[in-house]
Amino acid sequence: MELKQVLQSWWRPLVLGLAAAVLLEGATFAQTMPIAERAKLCGACHGEDGNSRMPNIPSIAGQPEFFLVHQLILFREGVRKVPGMNELLNGLKDDDLIALAKHFTVLAPKSSEEKLDLALVKRGEALVEPMRCASCHLPGLEGQEQMPRLAKQRIDYLIHSLKQFRDNRRSGADTLMSAVVIGVSDDDIAALAHYAASR
Amino acid sequence: MSRTMFRVLTAASVATALAFAANAQQVGFSPLDRTDQKKSKQDLNLKGHPTPSTMTPVDKLPLDKLSLPAGFKAEVWSHGHPGARTMVMGSKGTIFMGTRVLGRVYAITDRGGKREAKVLLQGLTQPNGLAFRDGSLYVFAIHQVFRFDNIEDKLDNPGEPVDLTKAFNLPDTVHHNWKYVAFGPDGKLYVQVGANCNVCEINNATHGQIRRYNADGTGMEIIARGVRNTVGFDWHPQTGELWFTDHGRDWAGNDGPEDELNVIAKGNEGAFFGFPYCHANGVPDPDIRIPNACAGVTLPAATTGPHAAGLGIKFYTGSMFPKEYQNVAFIARRGSWNREQKFGYDVITARTDGAKATLAPFMTGLLDEKANAFHGRPTYLFQMADGSLLVSDEQNGAIYRISYSTPGATKK
Repeated sequence: MELKQVLQSWWRPLVLGLAAAVLLEGATFAQTMPIAERAKLCGACHGEDGNSRMPNIPSIAGQPEFFLVHQLILFREGVRKVPGMNELLNGLKDDDLIALAKHFTVLAPKSSEEKLDLALVKRGEALVEPMRCASCHLPGLEGQEQMPRLAKQRIDYLIHSLKQFRDNRRSGADTLMSAVVIGVSDDDIAALAHYAASR
Repeated sequence: MSRTMFRVLTAASVATALAFAANAQQVGFSPLDRTDQKKSKQDLNLKGHPTPSTMTPVDKLPLDKLSLPAGFKAEVWSHGHPGARTMVMGSKGTIFMGTRVLGRVYAITDRGGKREAKVLLQGLTQPNGLAFRDGSLYVFAIHQVFRFDNIEDKLDNPGEPVDLTKAFNLPDTVHHNWKYVAFGPDGKLYVQVGANCNVCEINNATHGQIRRYNADGTGMEIIARGVRNTVGFDWHPQTGELWFTDHGRDWAGNDGPEDELNVIAKGNEGAFFGFPYCHANGVPDPDIRIPNACAGVTLPAATTGPHAAGLGIKFYTGSMFPKEYQNVAFIARRGSWNREQKFGYDVITARTDGAKATLAPFMTGLLDEKANAFHGRPTYLFQMADGSLLVSDEQNGAIYRISYSTPGATKK
């Protein structure tokens, strides 16, 4: 497989994570690093404005603060396992993570440059009501408390993430999302992703 | 905090992640779930309450809200350990505390009357199940089982545990399988295995049980079946019978089926407690219907309220509380999520009489009925050597100590 293909596959976060881990080993978030510099490090992958331009890397702008803090803690402690994220956050204090969350929660979410498939958006719209997505993620899919914003999220990341929940590959998550997406087809997952990204 | 353990677990988890990628049919939640939310006529927007993973400052703890019978007093015993749930004590006095989603096990030590909490283990998957015996801490994290020998001599560096996962051979389904475990009076290790759904036809050979094992994981016996999700049990000090809490199903109405307090009477080991066909005090399931749904079902000693989420149960045997509390069970109710008007968020007592029990309020005040809001969530109980009772509050990451002194007696 060519490198380009590798980078475009679902493996990408893993490869990227390992690369980040290697690059940042020893030069990780030093305890004394100012928040602006730390946020810049996050921005290298998630976008400096919190809106990711990298395939399969989620946008974190405008995510609920509770959600960001909670996920950062789970990453730091290796409950949620994503190589790269785990190493990067190792040793940071709760207050450091809260500061990062506060930084990104106020940034404006922007749609990615991925091409929306309008047929899929329509199909996804029909699925959202019976699947009751808005019940937790709110009608605008902007998220709340421990539930993430889905609106304007990257399509490829949404697909990646939904499949992780469906296939029990999302370590450390509560089982609620798995319960919701059990047995949902790849096509329906794509439709849900296109719809959410379009909001 | 244990960096060695973290590395060990991280390496193991990468292997696990790859195993899942290759073999993705294992699911945390049963695909056979038969919940019909719409039929419940409940507010379909009901959802679980978020549990903070950060510290609640001590001045924000709801101590002033707690209300107790005359003569009882509550104080903050320790705080600053988010996700506070199960408590067991080592022979040298360390309180070990389990959590759920946060994945930590804390060690809380008493230093000159002040408690110090540290993260002993982290990165585990819902390590709610803790037990202590002969110097060893047993940690149950869904299907993973670890034994840390001489743990109280190694609180700064617990080192590598003995991995008993294979010996216990527990299902790796996550839902309703954050374990509760305890050593019984017979020296056996009792282990919860919940139903991995809200309501579904479970495999009775693997789910919806209470089991007991020898401490090394051999000699497994199923001592209760048809148990949806017990997250707490204790043995009656006189009869030696096992009493357990069990959560009723969700999405079948705001008022029930109620949670249960059950007893495995002598000679009734292996009894069937009704899930998924028969709930509470004989309520047939609305979604999975069979003829004579409650035939052959051992009904509860008491029902403990709709969606109340009774967790920890502890029979009181101390000398501090008045005599009328002797051998009375205390039950922590974490409080409802699947109910429009919130319910629970308290500690109640259960006075047992044979296979029946009578309930009464004990620690209240965390539920604001008017505002339909709560200030804390009691999860587990622990009786100290002096007879005081510790109550953990998962929402605020704290432990409250409840003590008693005769009203009117001279106070210091």
